[in-house]
Amino acid sequence: MGSLARAYGRPLALTLTAILVLWILALILVPLGAMVQQSLWWKDSAGDVSLTIDRLYNDIATLQLDAGNTTDAGKKAALDAEIATKQGEATALEAKELNPGKQWGLDNFTRMSSLHLYIFVRTILYALMVTALALIVCYPVAYVVALASGPRKAIILTVALIVPYAINELLRVYAWLMILDYRGVINGVLGWFGVVDLDNRGWIPFLENPSAVFLAMIYTYVLFMVFPIVNTLETLDRNQIEAARDLGASTARIHRRVIIPHAKPGIAVGCIMTFMLSAGSYSVPAIMTRGQGGDWFSQLVYRQFFESNNWNMGSAYAVSLLVVCTAFILLMMRFFGVGLRDIAK
Amino acid sequence: MAWTAGIHPVGTTNIVAYGSSMRGKDVRLDKVSIRFGDSTAVQPTDLTIHAGEFFSILGPSGCGKTTILRTISGFIEPTDGRVLIGGEDMVGKGPNERPTALIFQNLALFPLMSVAENVAFGLEARGIGKAQRLKRAQELLELVALDQYGDKKPADLSGGQRQRVAIARALAVEPSVLLLDEPLSALDLKLRQHMRTELRAIQKRVGITFIYITHDQGEALAMSDRVAVMSRGRLEQVADADTLYAEPATPFVATFVGEQNVLRGRITTLADDVASVESPIGLVTGRAKGALKVGDEALVMVRPERISLGASNANTIPARLVSRNLEGPSVNLLCAAAGQNFTVTVPNGPAVRDLPEELNLSFGLADALVYPMGALAHG
Repeated sequence: MGSLARAYGRPLALTLTAILVLWILALILVPLGAMVQQSLWWKDSAGDVSLTIDRLYNDIATLQLDAGNTTDAGKKAALDAEIATKQGEATALEAKELNPGKQWGLDNFTRMSSLHLYIFVRTILYALMVTALALIVCYPVAYVVALASGPRKAIILTVALIVPYAINELLRVYAWLMILDYRGVINGVLGWFGVVDLDNRGWIPFLENPSAVFLAMIYTYVLFMVFPIVNTLETLDRNQIEAARDLGASTARIHRRVIIPHAKPGIAVGCIMTFMLSAGSYSVPAIMTRGQGGDWFSQLVYRQFFESNNWNMGSAYAVSLLVVCTAFILLMMRFFGVGLRDIAK
Repeated sequence: MAWTAGIHPVGTTNIVAYGSSMRGKDVRLDKVSIRFGDSTAVQPTDLTIHAGEFFSILGPSGCGKTTILRTISGFIEPTDGRVLIGGEDMVGKGPNERPTALIFQNLALFPLMSVAENVAFGLEARGIGKAQRLKRAQELLELVALDQYGDKKPADLSGGQRQRVAIARALAVEPSVLLLDEPLSALDLKLRQHMRTELRAIQKRVGITFIYITHDQGEALAMSDRVAVMSRGRLEQVADADTLYAEPATPFVATFVGEQNVLRGRITTLADDVASVESPIGLVTGRAKGALKVGDEALVMVRPERISLGASNANTIPARLVSRNLEGPSVNLLCAAAGQNFTVTVPNGPAVRDLPEELNLSFGLADALVYPMGALAHG
């Protein structure tokens, strides 16, 4: 702050600091804090209480009937007293039902069913596979774009890459749905050639296979993989490639020893982004599987929030996903020997 | 550590006799021409570079010298003609299949590999085992006096040390021809001068053919057995350094290599290779170079150090001294005569201490070269 004020003057330094604080609050602390806070408490299920209240009202109704029928003043007074007591109990329980007590702890995290845990693990594996496939697809593309001879060619290639991304993500996913559907483009073409029999529902069920989701996801997130790699490859001195070739290296060796080591930070950033996006993607698996293929974990989180109406559990699921993904990324960075400093470059 | 600490005295005998296994090959360009689209980078060129020779190609930037180098190394296929190395036609052979190694202008060391790995890379590419190739790399690093630096990264080395790593890396693949693309241009003057001697010594030691590209005439003249001067995609002259300097074949070579005083005029008489030229400063007589005939416009070239003070030679010009610039061992005198500027370089000494404003400049018949009109190196 002191040095900022000296460099830019007090008003500008204050503004910069305020923006920074706001940034940290709005983008990191508040959303994450709210989610973590939500995930750490729960309210007891009110089911038992409601049942007890129902019973009390039944009893009260019976007692009121008895009280109306009796002529004995003493007996009536006793019944009225009993009604008043039960009414009091019911009122107390109703208050509890309306406002059950908050309980704090890690129960939301530990209560995950084995099925949900299985989906959780499977989602991580799927996201990994998407990342690996995206890398395989994107590395050659990035290489061609980055080392395209002449700025004109590079511009054309870049525009060709970006144009599909001017279209809304949902539209792109639905487009793939239409391509892979039972009576979609591919099955239609196959049917036309007589490979599959559409009339007798003999189509190939692409959408029931997880790879349909992979395909749409790679298509959706391909840019997040391509651009970081392009950026690092563009800084590669082409003479190094020529030098390696001149020294007799095969193309595979040039990639393995010269180009990929140079592109490593870009590959790391691309993998992190693709992994995070695909592990947390809701729309792609929701649209592509339509319940036919297996759920992804993000769909479970959605359901906890909007179908079970259990925001606490939903938050816990979301936080678990975040923690595991983050840990996983740190692990991969350590494994590939890429530091934060390389990534920030 | 001072920059000199890493540099070993040239010609010391503690160097391993690494060159014994290497043998230079001759390089022949047979009517090679290179076009990119509709621009011609290299005009049809015939050139023979002898085995074991230190050969330089000298020319201003854009003259096509790097294109020739890249054609020899295999990065560019000639549009017409053939490249032969050791008598073998190189057509269709990529850079990795030729007995050449290229040292890039920016060296192109692999920054993420250690110095030893850099040097061993060519052997790694040939499938030689790790222990053996690192041992070999160590020998080569000894050759260039960097045996203590194998574990360092190229970025930790000084400019001159990086230079020598690049040389060791290229020599590791035992090339018959080493191609150098202005590798000294990034170094400071003192180091550059040192590396000239160094390069020459390494070439003598390993005995292979060196083809050296430069725009710096000092480098080319100091190191080379022979020099080719190029201009606009054409070889102007191929000769040893002394011939190039004393007997330039064209006005371009005459003005590109060393300094010249240039006079324009018209030939009045021509006999037995002696031409008289009517110029603004009067009649000048010199040796005819190239195809000349009486009445032609001509260029007369006189080197500044070939002009002396006094009126003792065939050509004498009365001139006015404009300025006197001390260079150290010599003095440059800037003179003017009839609107024409002359530079005169004379040895420093008491005789040139206090010069009168009016001088006589003179030069012999053999000191003036008369050329047909043609392109000059500097406008």
